[in-house]
Amino acid sequence: MSEPLLTASGITVRFGGLVANDNIDLEVAPVGITGLIGPNGAGKTTLFNVLTGLNRPTSGSVAYDGQDISRWSPHRRARAGMSRTFQRLELFGGMTVRDNLLAAWEASIPGGVMGRRQSEGRQLVDEVIARLQLGAVAGRQTGELPTGIGRMVELGRALCTRPRLLLLDEPSSGLDAKETAHFKEILVEVTDPEQAVQSEDGRGAPAVLMVEHDVRLVMDVCRMITVLDFGKRIACGAPDEVRNDPAVIAAYLGEPAA
Amino acid sequence: MLQFIVLGLFAGSIYALASLGIVLTYKTTGVFNFAYGGIAMFCAYVFWQLRDGWGLDQWIAIPLLLLVIAPLLGLILELLFRLLSQQSAEVQIVVCLGVLAFFTTIVNLVFVRHPDDSVRNLSTVFSHGSFGLTSNVSVTWNEAGTFILAIVMGLGLYAMQRWTRLGTAMRAVVDNRDLAGLIAVNARTIGRAAWIISTVFAAVAGVLLSVQENLVTYVLPFLVIYSFAPAVFGRLTNLGLAFAGSLTLGLTINILQKYGSSGSLAKFETSLPYLALFVLLVVYGKRLTEVKSSLRATTSRAVADPWRGYVVGAVALILALVLGPQVFADSTVGALAQAMAYGVVAITVVVLTGWTGQISIAQMSFAGVGAFTTAHTVASLGALYFPLGVLFGILIAVPVSLLVGIPSLRLSGLFLALATMAFALVMDSIVFASASISGGLTGLDLTEAKLGPISFDTATSQYYLCAVALGVTGLFALWLRHGPVGRRLQMVRDSPNAAATLGASLTVTKLAVFAACAAIAAVGGALLAVTQQTVIPANFSFDTSLQLLLVVVIGGRTLISGAVIAAGFYVVRLLPVPATVNKYLPLGIALAVIAIAQEPDGIGRVMLNQFQKSAALLYRIGRRPRTPVAGRTSSPQAVRPSV
Ligand SMILES: Nc1ncnc2c1ncn2[C@@H]1O[C@H](COP(=O)(O)OP(=O)(O)O)[C@@H](O)[C@H]1O
Ligand SMILES: [Mg+2]
Repeated sequence: MSEPLLTASGITVRFGGLVANDNIDLEVAPVGITGLIGPNGAGKTTLFNVLTGLNRPTSGSVAYDGQDISRWSPHRRARAGMSRTFQRLELFGGMTVRDNLLAAWEASIPGGVMGRRQSEGRQLVDEVIARLQLGAVAGRQTGELPTGIGRMVELGRALCTRPRLLLLDEPSSGLDAKETAHFKEILVEVTDPEQAVQSEDGRGAPAVLMVEHDVRLVMDVCRMITVLDFGKRIACGAPDEVRNDPAVIAAYLGEPAA
Repeated sequence: MLQFIVLGLFAGSIYALASLGIVLTYKTTGVFNFAYGGIAMFCAYVFWQLRDGWGLDQWIAIPLLLLVIAPLLGLILELLFRLLSQQSAEVQIVVCLGVLAFFTTIVNLVFVRHPDDSVRNLSTVFSHGSFGLTSNVSVTWNEAGTFILAIVMGLGLYAMQRWTRLGTAMRAVVDNRDLAGLIAVNARTIGRAAWIISTVFAAVAGVLLSVQENLVTYVLPFLVIYSFAPAVFGRLTNLGLAFAGSLTLGLTINILQKYGSSGSLAKFETSLPYLALFVLLVVYGKRLTEVKSSLRATTSRAVADPWRGYVVGAVALILALVLGPQVFADSTVGALAQAMAYGVVAITVVVLTGWTGQISIAQMSFAGVGAFTTAHTVASLGALYFPLGVLFGILIAVPVSLLVGIPSLRLSGLFLALATMAFALVMDSIVFASASISGGLTGLDLTEAKLGPISFDTATSQYYLCAVALGVTGLFALWLRHGPVGRRLQMVRDSPNAAATLGASLTVTKLAVFAACAAIAAVGGALLAVTQQTVIPANFSFDTSLQLLLVVVIGGRTLISGAVIAAGFYVVRLLPVPATVNKYLPLGIALAVIAIAQEPDGIGRVMLNQFQKSAALLYRIGRRPRTPVAGRTSSPQAVRPSV
């Protein structure tokens, strides 16, 4: 297997007395979907915030594409190709769906705010809208949309930055079974090198790190899974290994994996 | 020397009371009480009325004030800010500033019937006379009493926080809101207690400050603003540090007075607290904790169709150009010209507050930079160099804005509000107060300004100049809003986290906007100078910046038309309207801000909603027999103004 795209080593985050992340190591492969699971409050979102630069860890370092990015600001990481969605939706509620996506594109390239490469951006946005089947709501304000569509918009918004690494925080929470199936289909599609949203500079399918509550979905689509519990990494491996790990089963008390 | 230390400790202990009150409400409820000085002043006037005005015995008046009136006031404020607790920090700050304006105007209306009334003599609440500390240093009982009272109240607050259940809950609420729930003291109780204690402290500080000097309407709130610096010194959460900082501040000011009270340093003492506030914000930077960071932003709605805005704007501009000077008398035309120059500055408030969610209380200070720079340039180089003067104004305003913005824009909106406030007050007390810069109280003359062959020496020519400036600025801002720039501002405002993780630099965005707005404000200021012909510091003071923010909030802080409405308020003051209008207008403005600050589109939207509600009601009444009432009716919001 090739070099990991992202490597977090020894991440520790303290909030006062609470240790939300305790010396966590994590690797994300440059292709395919990597899973990050764990019970509520395990520290998954906190780790995401550290990876994307929204939180500074108490200790530990993050390397991306061979560089130490621990001290990089969130927007610099984004410009380097990291993009994320949020567990609690962070849509630009005052803008339409289309403008949300366009704003993301503009934020992701130098000079975007000055209107550079507008036509290219609009083309990409149209393609993403079509791909995610958001056409019907493209002109609606995101503040008025239901969660299910909101999650799709966040995914689309992240895709419009043409990421190399996509971090998804509980993308299926709040979705019903049908929406989840639809989401899974799209996720597999956009991460498939054959079908990915292509851009002119040839960035292909992004690698994905996904936090997910729906264990079945994770077991289905992920190649590697890391399991957190109470801020600690308790397991890491292929779905089959993780599924049968006693520590994991214990952590999910009565909620046997798959 | 010892005498100055005594005076310093006396002044410091009053600041201590005020800063404790400010810290208390901030750390328990997340509201930074900008209105504190107004409340203190109001209470001081009430005390005067009770004791000196109505002749009540002091030992009746004091309990009445501290046990009845101040707590009641605290309860009202608690209610007001509890209603706003789900609103964005931006709304809370604006309302707080509205409350400040309310108290300063109500004092004027109720207690100051004559100009002479604004200074009331108020004798000490302690016994008169003094005792000797050493052979040549004496301490008045007033000073000693104040110092001891401050220590006792400070210790009392400390003891309460330390040893009572309510106090423990108050401390817990800062660390963790969920934990506070576990101690089973209701958050509402905590908030009430904090507001009551804080208001009582304000009353004590107000009375004590007043008895030392006199009751002076406009000075008292500023003296209380002195205590903002120690409050920030305590990082807005630490009572002990705030107390210590206050005493240090009092000492420093008074010791400076001993050594530096002559010459150029004279102004320095009075502006030291503002400078200190500013420096502290810079030094602390990211270490300043925000009590509430998860407040949601006020969503302003995007406007899908900009064309209506352009059309309305262009038509308004053309009508104004064609009709204005023909329809109105010369004096009115002059007033309108001034108002439109003011409107240019108002647009910067719309862009900053409405579109970016940043509150600046210094836009008129930036305008002042433009005005005085232009006046100086024209005075020394001649009328033809007017455009160069405007350029100089911009060239000064932009770096200054970066100086103000760089430290505070990396923090949340509250800290920009504080930094701009400190900046405006420093400008008032040092820069604009310096006769060589501003010409002192009488100001500088700018009788002629030229743009190439065109001379702006008549009201009509000034009118054309300002109308074009306002129209162009407004249309340009509107155009920006509907393009990539507008999207960038909105994303930073709606969700800073998402914006950053998509690649937008929050600091660069906010800083660029802040600097651009400072530049445009400087241009507006230069235009004001041209129309006013005499540039007076009072027209560019902190007070005027505050008023500007308030009228833009009423007009609608997300709309260019909001800036135009703000300019309308400005005209009213210049025109020969009935005296009662001018008398009650400030009060109306303050109340309107408190009432409608939650509506980013301002008064127009509020009226439209009311109208639609009544129309819907009438419609339903008319058709009642046939229409079944739907379980959930969506509010009618089809029509959105786009200008
Ligand atoms: N900003 C914060 N301050 C204090 N505690 C926090 C903060 N963010 C998260 N936590 C705590 O850290 C722990 C981990 O939270 P989180 O990372 O959101 O878990 P997960 O996403 O796995 O459900 C939780 O106990 C949570 O309460
Ligand atoms: Mg989470």
